Amino acid sequence: CGAQERPGTGPGGVPLENFTAEQIFERGEFELERDRPEDAAEYFGEIERLYPYSEWAKRALIMQAFAFHRDRDYENSRAAAQRYIDFYPLEDDAAYAQYLLALSYYDQIEEVGRDQGLTFQALQSLRAVIETYPDSEYARSAILKFDLAFDHLAGKEMEIGRYYLKRQHYAAAVNRFRVVVEDFQTTTHTPEALHRLVEAYLSLGLTDEAQTAGAILGYNYRSTAWYKDSYALLTGQGLSPQSIGDNWLSAIYRQTVKGEWL
Amino acid sequence: CVAQYRDHGYVPREDQLSQIVPGIDTRATVEDVVGVPSTSSVRTDGGYYYVSSRMRSFAWREPEVVDREIVAISFDEGGIVRGIERYGLEDGRVVPLSRRVTENSGGDIGFIRRLFGNIGGLTLDNFGS
Amino acid sequence: QSYTFTDVAIEGNRRVEPGTILSYAGIARGQTVNAAELNEAYQRIQGSGLFEEVEIVPQGGTLLIRVVEFPTVNQISIEGNRAIDDDALLPQVQTQSRRVYSPSQAEADADAIADAYVQQGRVAARVQPRVIRRSDNRVDLVFEVFEGGVAEVERIGFAGNSQYSDRRLRRAIQTKQAGFLRAIIASDTFIEERINFDRQALSDFYASRGYVDFRVTGVNAELSEERDAYFLTFNVEEGQQFRFGGVSVSSDLPEVNAPLFREAVRVRPGTVYSPSLVERDVARLERLAIREGLDFIRVEPRITRNDRDLSLNVNYVLTRGERIFVERIDIEGNTTTLDRVVRRQFDTVEGDPFNPREIRETAERIRALGFFRNAEVNAREGSSPQEVIVDVDVEEQPTGSISFGGSYSTSSGFGIQVGFSERNFLGRGQQLAFQVSTGVSNQRYSFNFTEPALLGRDLAFGLDLSYAETNRDNSEYNTAIGTFSPSLTFPIAENADLQVRYTARYNDLSIPDESEVGQIVRSEAARGEQVESSVGYTLSYDTRRTGLDPTAGVLLEFSQDFGGLGGDQQFIKTAARASAQRLVYNEEVTLRATVEAGALNYQGDGSRVTDRYFLGTSRMRGFEPGGIGPREFDDGGDIDDALGGNYFAVARFEAEFPLGLPEEYGISGGVFYDVGNLWGLDETNDNVLYEDGALRQVVGVSLFWTTPLGPLRFNFSEALQKESEDKAQNFEFTISTDF
Repeated sequence: CGAQERPGTGPGGVPLENFTAEQIFERGEFELERDRPEDAAEYFGEIERLYPYSEWAKRALIMQAFAFHRDRDYENSRAAAQRYIDFYPLEDDAAYAQYLLALSYYDQIEEVGRDQGLTFQALQSLRAVIETYPDSEYARSAILKFDLAFDHLAGKEMEIGRYYLKRQHYAAAVNRFRVVVEDFQTTTHTPEALHRLVEAYLSLGLTDEAQTAGAILGYNYRSTAWYKDSYALLTGQGLSPQSIGDNWLSAIYRQTVKGEWL
Repeated sequence: CVAQYRDHGYVPREDQLSQIVPGIDTRATVEDVVGVPSTSSVRTDGGYYYVSSRMRSFAWREPEVVDREIVAISFDEGGIVRGIERYGLEDGRVVPLSRRVTENSGGDIGFIRRLFGNIGGLTLDNFGS
Repeated sequence: QSYTFTDVAIEGNRRVEPGTILSYAGIARGQTVNAAELNEAYQRIQGSGLFEEVEIVPQGGTLLIRVVEFPTVNQISIEGNRAIDDDALLPQVQTQSRRVYSPSQAEADADAIADAYVQQGRVAARVQPRVIRRSDNRVDLVFEVFEGGVAEVERIGFAGNSQYSDRRLRRAIQTKQAGFLRAIIASDTFIEERINFDRQALSDFYASRGYVDFRVTGVNAELSEERDAYFLTFNVEEGQQFRFGGVSVSSDLPEVNAPLFREAVRVRPGTVYSPSLVERDVARLERLAIREGLDFIRVEPRITRNDRDLSLNVNYVLTRGERIFVERIDIEGNTTTLDRVVRRQFDTVEGDPFNPREIRETAERIRALGFFRNAEVNAREGSSPQEVIVDVDVEEQPTGSISFGGSYSTSSGFGIQVGFSERNFLGRGQQLAFQVSTGVSNQRYSFNFTEPALLGRDLAFGLDLSYAETNRDNSEYNTAIGTFSPSLTFPIAENADLQVRYTARYNDLSIPDESEVGQIVRSEAARGEQVESSVGYTLSYDTRRTGLDPTAGVLLEFSQDFGGLGGDQQFIKTAARASAQRLVYNEEVTLRATVEAGALNYQGDGSRVTDRYFLGTSRMRGFEPGGIGPREFDDGGDIDDALGGNYFAVARFEAEFPLGLPEEYGISGGVFYDVGNLWGLDETNDNVLYEDGALRQVVGVSLFWTTPLGPLRFNFSEALQKESEDKAQNFEFTISTDF
């Protein structure tokens, strides 16, 4: 395989100092096409170091943020994007830099799938994009991603609510589901939250509260399967546990192997 | 085998409850005298509920609620205490929980990634004597 | 007065765009501005941190903003550092290449490097940042380091101490010495912080020995000019030693049963007073309060002095603490572990009364899972003063490992080894591992799986499957053993668990060369394959982590397996283990005693070498595997078969203690004494030695070293009493488990 050029030197190992910013920039773009984002980021970084005051330095900085992002090196991508916003806030690429900053948190949620802390940071930086650059082309996809991240947070609350519901800690469960109903109404979890409230209040014996929750569910989400379940529970023809094939062996298989623990 | 008991939640004591006078006390005074409710109504202007339950766990069986006490304080539109009711374990109904779950849109990383995502340094206890 | 500007002129900016400076200034064209707003604009531009100097000059209609940009950092290097190399120092430096150079940051970086040296005791280190101008307003930053000598010479003197000698007091300060240097920031505050630290160390020393009136009346200290030595003299006033007088428990709360709490108190009148003893009793009483289901109980030790007979009366008053509830438990940082795996460690449920001690114990349980590099659990105020939010911040660590290996050895030829083990399978807290290792003569396949919370309950399900063909290296027969064993474990009382299991076991004994094997093994091998099917249980009582007393604990285990449920062998296998541990000498020294015994009785043809016990090093140290116990020995025909025994009994006594090395080395020492025996065979002949044998005694020293790979233990042992043909082993290296 070809001689592995050490970053910091141009083709043929000649130190980068002798190349113009434009040549290094093209070299960076060449590395990007070759799907070697880490080396590309290195080259763009060198432009910023060697020619900090050239026009190329500005473009290299945003390309560096993009290259680090492609390489999933979210830390450096964030640092580069933040530097761009500090130095060139009025440039039209600043919107893209802010968007890249938000993406660096957002994509980590995909990879991580469970951590609340990251979701929260993603929401804040996405809101920054939506508010500071409302008419840029990134605002629309930022809004979309905001809703997804918001949905993800609601999912976490639901997961904890179901945990307490299953272990018959109904008061704790009700509090968690109320958080979803009050703070996350726009997410896809609200109908289920309302149904769970019906289940929890009925288990406690607070039938009028259950009726209220069922009414809200019926009024806003009449066509959902959740409303059918609630309706059945509230009108008393609810199914008994045995009748839904819940013998202990199938329960063990479902919960231990498949991980559906409800 | 000996069963183990655990108490959860909180219900105010009789002497504290007697200090609450329907028609006079408001939500704030209730919270001072008796404490913050375990949970409250789904409507923002609904009642306060204090729930305390005693769970009994015995060997391999699932812990079961053997006693539950609920003190419900209801308020009128002006936020003044209307009445105090009590519910017990017998009022609760056995409700089969629906097993359907709203799928989290995206964000669920692949099985293989989760399987090998956590591989790390070698630790000695793999050799184990 | 106020100005209106028609246009703006900007001078001196090179990298920063005029637009950017304008956006920081925030003055629009034609907007009337007074002096205060001008100053604010100046502050904002200065605040951006991009400029060395900023000047705002109103010239009639035009606003002139003159700036001098900070240069950009080209490269950073450190020179003159020998003791600490670059890649240890560079992370301390905040200034980054390509970023803006700021003199104040460079100063801070120089201090950070100096601090790294101070932590190694080089108090005299000096670090000077220097800037080299480069073309295009760029600079190189160089940190010049003068390391200087290590400040290790120190003389500490005492005046007024009669009960304890200077040397003893110096040692009292010394032991706390190791970690102290890390706390110094700049060298000139070295003296005050050092004195305060020593003053505190001295009063702790005296307080824990009953001298409640101990005072340090004065200290004189100087640091030598070359800054490599300091001299301290402490004038102390010891006062009298106090002992515990009356000890009582009182409470005006109706639901508290005072006599019950009185029994839980461990302090006895007459013993020397010490604050840590009182704190331990408070811990015991608070734990008892949880168990009695009492909410919001706080234990306050009220101490009254009785100067006549130098005694202190302690009265533990149980009062009602303020009413606080747990509003939410938020778990963050769990990137692979599921939320419920951490949440189920909590006995506290959201909405329950807040009990700090219970939360601390839960934090211990979360750390004990072994899934996290660290786990912080702390409480902050919730949405009302009566509510608290418990934050659990965890940092995951890898819990799985894959191993591939090939091996070639003259004796067992080519072999491959594949293994996958995961302690937190799919983040569900399940443990799963399989291992395949094959060689020409040795094969081993194993699979085990544990689900700690089956059906969401406190019910652990375990499954073990293994098949191993070995040729015993210390005697010439081959064995093949396969086992299948599912088990269920559940709590049956406070601190007590019961495991019930079924075990199906296939074992085969074969001899490649009749001449090299004794008569016993030959007759046992003649029986060929055998299958056992048995049910068994293990009762265990463990108070190490949950017991009332945090510094001591006991583990009792009793297990029996009954063979004969099908299969060809009728047998009863009984084993028992009792182990007690206590931390003494303010929890720095661990004393541990363990007694273990086992008995097999097989009906019919009796046990075989594959069934009998062998005292491995995990049970008794100082001997090779199979080096102890009944053996068929015939010098002429060079027969030396270790036969194992139907019965074994062992006692192990050990102590672990720090060696005074700084704790970051992770090295501590230990001594141990093992005594035990392995005996009993169903079938014997005159070549068999030690069928009943004598007690073996071994004494030894061990060294513990906690490495990133795991806790290692090196044992050096000497057999005090052994049989002539026993095979001693004076050194062994194991992974030390915490018993």
